[in-house]
Formats: sequence, C-alpha cells, structure tokens
Amino acid sequence: MSNQETLLRVEHLCQYFKAGNYVTKAVDDVSFEIKKGEVFGLVGESGCGKTTTGRSIIKLYNITSGDVYFKGVRICAGTQKLKEELKACKDPQRAQELKKQIADAKNDQKNCDKMYSAKLQEETKAKYEALLAKATGEEKTKLQAEYKDAMRKARNTRLVTQIQMIFQDPIASLDPRMTVRETISEGLVIQGERDKNVIDEKVYEMLELVGLVREHASRYPHEFSGGQRQRIGVARSIIMNPELIIADEPVSALDVSVQAQVINLLNDLRDRFGLTILFIAHDLSVVKYFSDRIGVMYYGKMVELADSDELFAYPLHPYTRSLLSAIPLPDPIYEKARKRITYNPLAEHDYSVDKPSFREVRPGHFVQCNEAEYKAIMEKLNGK
Amino acid sequence: MEKKLEVRNLRISFRTSNGKVQAVRGIDFDLDKGETLCIVGESGSGKSVTTRAILGILAGNSIVESGEIIYDGQDLLKITEEDFHKIRGDKIAMIFQDPMSSLNPIVRIGRQLTEAMILKGKIRQRESRKTFNNYLKHLNEAMVQSATSPEEAARAPEICKKFDKFEFKHIELEKAYNTAHEAAQEAAEDIDKLSFELEKNSVGKDAADRIGDIIRQSRASINEYVVPEAKKAQIDSLCSKLKSSFRSKDYKAVLESLYAIRDILKDAIGKPVPNFFRMGFYLTFSDQPLPDMPVDELNDFLRKYLDEHFMLHFIADAERALKFSAKRSQDNMVTAIRELQAALPVYAKENLEHKECTETMKKLDAAVKATIDPLAIVKDSLSYTFTSSLKSEIDHYFHGVRANVKVMRTYNRDKRKYDAMIARGKNPGFELADPAVTDLDLIRDNIARLINRLVDHYNTILKAGDTRNYDKETVAVIDYLKENASGVVAKVTRQIAKHRAIKLMEEVGIAEPHKRYRQYPFEFSGGMRQRIVIAIALAANPDILICDEPTTALDVTIQSQILELINELKEERKLSVIFITHDLGVVANMADRVAVMYAGKIVEYGTSEDIFYHSAHPYTWALLSSMPDLDTNEKLAAIPGTPPNMIYPPKGDAFAPRNQYAMAIDFERQPPMFKISDSHYAATWLLHPDAPKVDPPKAVVDRIARMNARRGKQG
Repeated sequence: MSNQETLLRVEHLCQYFKAGNYVTKAVDDVSFEIKKGEVFGLVGESGCGKTTTGRSIIKLYNITSGDVYFKGVRICAGTQKLKEELKACKDPQRAQELKKQIADAKNDQKNCDKMYSAKLQEETKAKYEALLAKATGEEKTKLQAEYKDAMRKARNTRLVTQIQMIFQDPIASLDPRMTVRETISEGLVIQGERDKNVIDEKVYEMLELVGLVREHASRYPHEFSGGQRQRIGVARSIIMNPELIIADEPVSALDVSVQAQVINLLNDLRDRFGLTILFIAHDLSVVKYFSDRIGVMYYGKMVELADSDELFAYPLHPYTRSLLSAIPLPDPIYEKARKRITYNPLAEHDYSVDKPSFREVRPGHFVQCNEAEYKAIMEKLNGK
Repeated sequence: MEKKLEVRNLRISFRTSNGKVQAVRGIDFDLDKGETLCIVGESGSGKSVTTRAILGILAGNSIVESGEIIYDGQDLLKITEEDFHKIRGDKIAMIFQDPMSSLNPIVRIGRQLTEAMILKGKIRQRESRKTFNNYLKHLNEAMVQSATSPEEAARAPEICKKFDKFEFKHIELEKAYNTAHEAAQEAAEDIDKLSFELEKNSVGKDAADRIGDIIRQSRASINEYVVPEAKKAQIDSLCSKLKSSFRSKDYKAVLESLYAIRDILKDAIGKPVPNFFRMGFYLTFSDQPLPDMPVDELNDFLRKYLDEHFMLHFIADAERALKFSAKRSQDNMVTAIRELQAALPVYAKENLEHKECTETMKKLDAAVKATIDPLAIVKDSLSYTFTSSLKSEIDHYFHGVRANVKVMRTYNRDKRKYDAMIARGKNPGFELADPAVTDLDLIRDNIARLINRLVDHYNTILKAGDTRNYDKETVAVIDYLKENASGVVAKVTRQIAKHRAIKLMEEVGIAEPHKRYRQYPFEFSGGMRQRIVIAIALAANPDILICDEPTTALDVTIQSQILELINELKEERKLSVIFITHDLGVVANMADRVAVMYAGKIVEYGTSEDIFYHSAHPYTWALLSSMPDLDTNEKLAAIPGTPPNMIYPPKGDAFAPRNQYAMAIDFERQPPMFKISDSHYAATWLLHPDAPKVDPPKAVVDRIARMNARRGKQG
C-alpha cells in the first residue's frame, strides 16, 4: 500500500469557530493522508469534528490554519498560525519568510481553482490548435465548434469538483422542488454542458448504476423511500467523475436492510471506478466492514490512526478502547456481560507537564501520546 | 410474573385517498413487569403504529378495527381522552425518535422539564388521596362485615381511622429524613468530584457555582438522624472558611475544608436508620416524648409499642377482611359463570336482536362487577374490561348490519356497470375492489371468545381455590397504603421540581446542568436533545416506558450510555420497557423478549436467545445477515425488493415475494403461528411438519458459530 500515490494530504488542519470571545476548536491540528483507491474511515462521537473535517476539505469552510493538498496541489491553506508566529517574530529574515508564506497561502486558498482551470485551458488550446492547423474546410468548422465548447468547459472546471460529498440526511440534502434529473445533472450544467441529450444519457447511466430505473428521472424526491433517496445522492456525486468522495454518515439514517443495500452499492462503485472514499460514520461495525484505514477523533484531535484490522486488534489509546467497548453486537449473552469502558481524559492522562503529540508506534499505527505514555505503549508492544 | 400490559388481536388501518392501509393486522403480545420487549422490523412494518395505539396518539385518519390493549384494569382503546390524560406521561411515557419534534423550540429546557412534574404532581396528589380513602373505606367495610364478634366490628372503624392519622406523620418524618440524607450524599459526591479536579489543578469556570451548591447541600443535610443540630455550628464555620479561601484562591485551604466537611457527611450517611413508620405511630398516640436511646434499641422499643397497641389487631383484622372479600368474590364468580354461559346462545343467533343483546349485557355487567374484589391490589383486568369490550363488539355488530346494506348496494351498482362494460367489449378503466363489508360472523366469534375467556379465567381461579398467602398479602396491603399516602404528601413545588430536573439532567449525562437548564432546545446538539427528551419522559416516573428508536441518531458511546441508563432505571424502578429499533445489536443488549414485525404482523416472537441463536423465520434470517459485525468480510446480504403495499395486502405470507425460501403455499395462505418452544413462536410454513427442511443462510450460521467461539474463549 505504501507505493500507492497519495491522493489527499491533510496537514495540521485547524478549524476554529468564533462566537463572541469564545473560540470553539472544532478541529485542532489534524493530519492524515489518503492513498488512491482506499477507504479511509473517520470515527468519533458527535461533536468531535469529523464532519467539520470533511467539510473543511471540500472548502465549505475557510480553514483557520494548516494545509490540504489534493493530488499534490494545495487547495486549502490557513494562515492564523503563521500570523501568530509573525507577531511574535523578532528575526527580520524569518519575518520576511513568514510574510511570503502567508501571501502564498492566501493566493493558493483563493486561486487554486483558477490556476487549475487556466492549466486545463492551456492544454485544450494546445491540443486543438495543433488539430486546427492540420484541418481544412468543413472539418475545420466542426473542430472550431468543438474547440469553443471544450474551452468553455475548461473555463468552468474547478479542481474541487473532483471531490464530491454524500450527505447524512437524504431528505434534507435534496431540493424538494427539483426533479431527480435536475438534481443529478446540476453539476454537469454548472460545468457548462449544454447538450440535453448528453445530459439525459449521463443521468440515465448514473441512475442505472445506482440501481434505479430511467423512469425515476422525472420524479420528485418525496416519491422515493429513504434508501432510494440516498441512492440519488450517490448518483449526484458520482456523475462528476470524482476521484474522492466524502461520505458523511451516508447510512446512519437508514434501516438495516436498506443500509446493506447502500453499503453494497458503494462497495461496487469503488471496485468499478477505483474511487477513493473518506467515510465518516459513527457505526463502528460498518466502518470496520468498509474501511481500509481508520482514524479516531476525540474533541477535535485525532487520537489514533491505523489499519482497520490493526486498530480493532490492538487499540492503544484509552478513548479508542472505550469506543470499541461500546459497540453493540447481535449476541445477547455477550451483550449482557459487556462492560463499557468509560473515558475520562482528566483521569487517564497527565498532560500538565509534557504535552502530547502524534507518534508512530508501529508501522502505520499512530497514537496521540506524550513521552511517558509512548514509553509505556512501546514496552507493552514489545512485551507481546 | 405480573402482566403490566396485554395487547390482544390488535388491528389498525388508516383511511387514505387511495384506500385503506392496513398498518397492523392482528397482533398479540404481553408485557411483564420489569421486562424489556423489543419490537424489530423495517420502517413501515407497523411497529410505531402499535406503540402509538398504546399511548392513544394515533393519527386522525386511523381506524381501530378490533382488539384490546389492557392496562391496569382498563382497555386503552376504549377509554376517553380525559382518562388518557391521567395515564399518558404519568403511567406510560414515550421517547420519540426525533428529539427536535418533541421539544418546544421557544420554551427553555428547564421549563419543559419541570412543567410535567408540577402538573402531574398535583394530579397525583389528588389521585393518591382518592385511592387511599377508597381503599381504606373498602377495607373498613370488609372488616365490619367479616367480624365474628360485635367487639371486632366496633374496633374496625377505629383502627382504620388510626391508620389514616399516623400514616401521614410517618411520611412527613421519613420525607424530612430522606431530603437531608440525599443532600448529604450529594454533597459528599460533589466534594469527591471537585476535590479530584482541584488536586489535578484544573479549576473549571463553574467551580464557584459548585462550591455554592456544596454549601447549600451540606446545610440542608441537618436532621436529627443525619447531621445532628450539634454539628451545625461546625459546618457553618467550615462553609464560611471554604467561601473565603476560595475567593482568595487559596486552593489548599479549600481542599482542607472540603475534606473536613466530607468527613462529617460520610459519618452521617453511614448511620443506622430509625423506622419512621413505628415512630410516627408512637409520636401520634403516645403522650410521652421519644425515649433517648441508640437507634437500634429505639427501633426495637418502637416495634414492641406498635405491635402491642395497633399492629397485631390491624394485621388480624385486615387478613380476615381480605379472606372475606376474596371468598365473596369467588362466590360471585360461580353465579357469574352461570350467567355467562346462559348468555352464550343469545349472542350465537343468526341475527342478533338489539334489545335482547343490550339487556343481557346489562345483566352480565352486574354479575361480572360483583366478582371484582375491591381489596385486590393487582386488578383483575379481564373482569374490569369485560363490559366495555362486549359493548364495543355489540355496537360494532349493529353498525355493521346497517353499513353492510349500503356497501353492498354501492358494490352491486358498480359491479353492474363493470360487467356491462366488459360485455360490450370496452375497457372499464377502473378496478373493481371487493366490497368492504363488516364480517358479522367474526364479531359473533369475538363475542363468544370474550365470554369463554372470562369463564375459563374464573374457572382457573376457582380451581386454584384458597392457596393464596394472606400473610404476604396483608403486608402488601400495608405497603400499598403507605405508597399512596406518600403520594399525597409528595408536593412538587417549583423549587423541588427544579432541583429534581437538574439531578435528572446530570443522571442522563448532561454537563453543566445549571447552565443548560436555562437554554433553548436549538442550543443543544442532537445527542444532548435526545437526553433531554429521555429526562422529560422519566420525570414523571412512569410505569411503562416506550422508546421509539431513541438511539438511532446517536453515536456509539452515547448510544451505549443511554442504553445503560435505560437499563439502570429499569432495574431501579421496575420499569417495563417497550423498545422499538432496527439495530439488532441494540436489541441484543436490551431485550428480554423480542418480537419481529413485518407488514403489520408479528412473524417471530421469543426470548432474545431464541431469536439470535435459534431464529426460525426467513425474515429474521435476512435481518441478521444484512447487518455487518466486526468479523464480516463477505458481501452483505441485502433483502431484495421493498415491503408490500398495505392497501392491497398480499393473500399469502407478506414476506413471500422477497423470500428465497418461499414455497407455493406461501403465496396462497397466511401461515399460522407455529410453536417452537414454550417461549418461541414463528409464523412460517417452513415449520409445518410437511415442509422441506431448510437451513438458515450461511451468514447467520457462521455468525452463530463465531459468537459461540468467542464466548467459549472468554468463559
């Protein structure tokens, strides 16, 4: 897995929300990588910032500080940490450096899409100009029309559209006044597709892909059941040929039998298109079943990150242990004997002197801990 | 086991513009005291409708076609809205799936929590007074009637009056003690928590509030039998020291005074408890003050006094009265059985006569009412609900007779039109639905069953005869009276309600309850809102708690916290719980018994072990295999297709079209409930002796094997 290319890299992502004088640190210094073609699960209790992380990546929020790289291009960049450092900075040379970094970050944050579309436009231009030079007569006029069309699309393309999101609540995330066709094709239309036939064909293809039929295209969302609505949400996101899908609790609002249908669908799509998925959920059985790697979040911090089998076999952080102990299993005798481990950060850790950091304890297995805890963990692991 | 709730043959439909949707199609189940019944099924299987019927909050377009829901001697389908006000929320509470829709967005959380407490407090006081007086009256009568000598007859009213008098004194004393004791306990717990944080050097913003609380609580714990008056001065000085040292941020001194207070409180909490029941009697009727002696000796002394002056007489008389009353009711049963059997042919006629029916009903009513033993604490619900059930069946019959004529007339007209169009070779353009006639034979059967059931019930009682333990029952009577008396004294003021609400909020795991108390619902996250809803449901201290998917929208840690909370409360308060969910993991955790519902019917019913380890219905298999657990790697077996449209319920087994094991008969006839063991039933033709032997799907078999292996490893 290590030789695969990294699709998304999140570095020291912070997302703070201000309410008056009170700052909520929804996401605080979170770093992880997602490789191409893998499913990365993000778990944690409600309010721990997993949804915020997803939304920050797709640029629904302007992040406070940190960087997000998608396919090697910086798509989000925050400046607050740099600004703070600049304020405290005495060294003029370092200050100069920081100023430049801030300017860069602002530029990337604002213009990454423009730069991407400029690049696309240039590529299209080069391609068609070469073709046009050779062509003559009728062929040339046809090519010119195509060229115009392609340029328009290139102008309207955004890098971020290659990341798509599936939302938790299939009812709230669909516009009740739009037909399924309009909902699914909206992205294409915004991108500049004007040919009705092309749009229809694509919509039908997507509908069939997610297990619905052509006739459904002209209906409205209220005519569908919960599972079918979630399928529409999936169709809407994959029509843009995304490389990364952020699935924000796509199955937690659904019945078990329908849940299985939607998970099977996502699994099929993943095998077919080699999709990469950031899977945000709180049902650990589903996450375990679906993900290759899992990150555990607690109060805005990533506390543990490992391969899913490894995480369930050797949970190291006390919060992960408490989370795993809370999974209900369909086994009554086991369930009645199950003891939930409670996690009380004040009692578990003593961070008054030594602040914790994110350390690798085994290849690919990271834990948030300080020096003393790190030693204890290593001893335990070596003892095994 | 004492049955709390019985649901019999419940059928509910909804009138819609497209036709009648049959949401619930004849289900039966019982709920015992202190048990959890889980109802599992897909959305639209009728599980929510069932529970709503129990709570009497069905939508306006619903039709209750038949059935009984019996609770505490009442049929909940037949009582008036007025009567329901006394039950809903107070006796039966519900936690809804969507917390936001059950909270008022423009009223503060605290107000919403306390509102019900204050309202219900008043009603409960009134009701308890009524029950207490009524019961004492009946007891008195029975005592007088059963007296063997004039002396005993003369003694009875006096005894009852005495009981009434000192009982309230006892409750007052006990309440004062409990308040003080609780305060001491809470203060000690708070000190434990706070001092732990102080030691760790993390002083929260609310520390000042909490110290204020501790001071208030420790002052409230002053009571003769908890923290005696003598220590009042000591506590006062410690409290003022605590305050001043906290203000000057001298945390060491704060800790010291906290520990000192805690020592006093812990000492007080462990003290032996005097018996207030006896003390109440002594204080009321003896002119002397309480003798000054240690609590153990005092208890002995008081017991002797009480026994001599009151208790022995009371127990003897009450026991005699109970025996007499039970005997009387059993004698009446013999007459009632005769009457009931005589009435059977009246209701078995081809065409019932209205006048005859109502007259017989009145006669039966009198006979059955006479069998009711007013001194029985556990009400005989069959006798209580007999008349109302009979009446509704008779009304249904005569209404049906009239309506059927009309329905048939319309149907015949349509049929003629339809046939004429077919004969002319045209497409009629509409489907001819079967006429919705009322099944009069079914009603006659229902009436016969109703009567026979009561007769059987009486016969079993008569056969059992006099094996009842009257000693035990007398004690139960005294407890019952005590309970009601405490209900009369328990006055809920705004202050008490607030205190209780904050405690409840803490209990359901809401941090900083003082601050949260004053917030609005939108300021809470989803999980927190659900906790508030649970707190509101528990505020009235109900008998039966109905949970409609309370944890579906919550994450695992909070889910398991809330499940634990419900389980704890269930143990503590002997609560009966009906739990609706589609998460089988949750079912395994909560359920004593499980009912699997599909398309308005219960398809499998059994203890949770039966359902999870020996499930027999293909739908249960499908549910079990469509859910991943931690060891699942293969593709999930989703159930194909969707549930049937309940406007046109299928003729055979409703699950047949989605069932890979379906046989020809599944499409033809509905399977009956086959008995697998005493506790385990399933409705599938696969259990018929002639059916081929089928193994459950591989996913289910594998999982059971894995579960056995894991348990083997652990134990």
